[in-house]
Amino acid sequence: MIKVGIIGCGKMADNHAVPIQRIPGTEIVGVCDREALMARDMSERFQIKNYFTDAKDMLEAIKLDVVHITTPPQSHFELGKICLEAGCNVYIEKPFTLNTAEAVELIRLANQNKLKITAGHNAQFTHAMVRMRELVKKGYLGGKPVHMESIYCYDFGDVSYAKALLCDKEHWVRKLPGSLLQNIISHGISKIAEFLSGDNPTVIAHGFTTPFLKSIGQNDIIDEVRVIILDEDSTTAYFTFSSQISPSPHQFRLYGPKQSLIVDDDHQILIKIDNKEYKSYLRYFLPPFEYAKQYVENFGGNFMKFIRKDFHLPNDAALKTLIESFYNSIVNNAPLPLSYREILLTSKIMDAIFIQINEAQP
Amino acid sequence: MKNLDLGTLSDTGQNGYIINPDDTILVTGANGFIGSRVVRTLLLYGFKRVRCLTRPTSNSKKLEDIAKEFGRENIEIVRGNLLSRDACMIAAEGVSVVYHLAAGIDKTYPGCFLNSVVTTRNLIDAVIKEQTLKRFVNISSIAVYSNEKIQRGGLMDESCEVDTKLLERYEPYTYGKAKQDELVLEYAQKKDLPYVIVRPSVVFGPGKAKITDRIGTDTFGVFLHLGLNNRVPFTYVDNCAEAIVLAGLRKGIEGQVFNVFDDDLPKSREFLRLYKRKVHSFFSIPVPYPAWFFFCYFWEKYSKWSEGQLPPVFNRRACAVYWKGNKYPNNKAKELLGWYPRIRMNEGLKRFFAYMREVKGQKND
Repeated sequence: MIKVGIIGCGKMADNHAVPIQRIPGTEIVGVCDREALMARDMSERFQIKNYFTDAKDMLEAIKLDVVHITTPPQSHFELGKICLEAGCNVYIEKPFTLNTAEAVELIRLANQNKLKITAGHNAQFTHAMVRMRELVKKGYLGGKPVHMESIYCYDFGDVSYAKALLCDKEHWVRKLPGSLLQNIISHGISKIAEFLSGDNPTVIAHGFTTPFLKSIGQNDIIDEVRVIILDEDSTTAYFTFSSQISPSPHQFRLYGPKQSLIVDDDHQILIKIDNKEYKSYLRYFLPPFEYAKQYVENFGGNFMKFIRKDFHLPNDAALKTLIESFYNSIVNNAPLPLSYREILLTSKIMDAIFIQINEAQP
Repeated sequence: MKNLDLGTLSDTGQNGYIINPDDTILVTGANGFIGSRVVRTLLLYGFKRVRCLTRPTSNSKKLEDIAKEFGRENIEIVRGNLLSRDACMIAAEGVSVVYHLAAGIDKTYPGCFLNSVVTTRNLIDAVIKEQTLKRFVNISSIAVYSNEKIQRGGLMDESCEVDTKLLERYEPYTYGKAKQDELVLEYAQKKDLPYVIVRPSVVFGPGKAKITDRIGTDTFGVFLHLGLNNRVPFTYVDNCAEAIVLAGLRKGIEGQVFNVFDDDLPKSREFLRLYKRKVHSFFSIPVPYPAWFFFCYFWEKYSKWSEGQLPPVFNRRACAVYWKGNKYPNNKAKELLGWYPRIRMNEGLKRFFAYMREVKGQKND
């Protein structure tokens, strides 16, 4: 039985507790929040035996195999450290840490204590992303990607999150070095980081505040970013973050030397751009049918997963896949679902983006 | 005295009230649909120190308009977040009565709990420290009741049980409200908090452009009329505001709970017919209660079997509470608060439909 603890009993903690309780052989045995009412409420709703208001008390009182840290990012490093020092494997929600130096230190500590650590980049494990990765592993692209495009947008119309942020000048998201961007873009950046070579990619970033935010007096939030990334093997990538594109797309395009792939995460669609030769005008008539066939296959796959109660909402399903893979890597010493290199590279790219954007601000 | 929607306020003499016109009153959620009406009613009653707590970034135009109408000196707008204990201390300074209307409206349980229960705890701690409090009026909701043991057509009044299985209803807002009530009762027991709980029913009126779910739902792209012959537990917003105000003023009602329903409650069918005639016509399918109950039963079963692939948003407990059909008496509020719904149902509906026509017109423009 894997004994799990959760630190931070806010909205994300609920998102974690639900899939954890669906994984056979696991039990959440303790939750912790500095606000006793929140900790008690979560323990009651999920029928968890113990609740605490101090993480150290929880780590001393219960022997935990894994701790999930779902607090605001400002506390990730300190909490991660005390969990690793207490001998627990650690899952840290995104963004992993405030900066790369903290990420390096946590990974070093995990290695030193022969423990495992992972980041909450669950968008890497949606149904469509998992299928994409399988094709890449089989060599579908025909080599290392030549170019990637990751677009990860955000909708201020999402009342539950945006209202909390926009209505509160003291919201913790505003206090992150990268503000709103830091809390969101790791999902889109990690997709790119997975396929980059070397440890020091070149990053060129430009960000600005949209007229929409300015019109409601939110001049301090950057909500549009365009990034160009170049790795040591000349693979390039574009990253786009926007709050104004509607409907908000979450897509990833992977262009290989022979063939390419498009992941539409909003609809869980994976499209293969096959390298087929058609004679003369046939190239304008046959491919539309072939693409239509692929869309129908995507529908079939999604629907069958739904029938088998294996679809769920893609982000929830992805979170369960990531958690399950992480637990599997702990129990069976299998490879980690996210390599440390990918976590660090994501962090480095994000640091570079925030530095450039902040420097460019008047 | 101004004579507006409340008509002639013959009963606004201070006899029978626990505070004087110069005492400080705090209204949280003062910029909201009901809160702004509570502020206005207090000013109509002649209170001169009404402190309005609003979120730091909320647009306080409604309150500014009220301040212009009644005089800036009678109203104090304080901006703050109830999650901050410091903000609570500022808001609670010297208050005699607190009308706690601020609520956590969120899709998640932690969000509602945080913004209903933790905020209430912070506020109560602050007012207890001040030692000037005479009454804490906690605004709850009739949705917290269970009608499991009440037959169709039975009375739903203040003596009904509060639902103890709210998680099965999958309603974070109601869950937060019930937990907020529990907290108030805990403070009353342990720290002698002088309290009254008010549970408004379905509050309607200009400012809230929505047909209540108790009439039906358009979740599936077509309007399913679920209320049919049930009486809809409406209260017009100004009537509700006056009941809340009186709950903070009347002597001898400490520890009481009041449900707020208007008189002459319309049947769901009547409301829908009028709405279609007066606002806009649309297609609706009448669904009998047993049919909807069975649908909810199967949805609930599927949700459980699929481990939440479809969340149990349609479930039997919620179905019963909203569409089983009960009677909603308002005797207690009338007797102990001396309240009566000044705006008659016909007039309230007329104003609501006029407002909805305006909203629909704006949308079409």
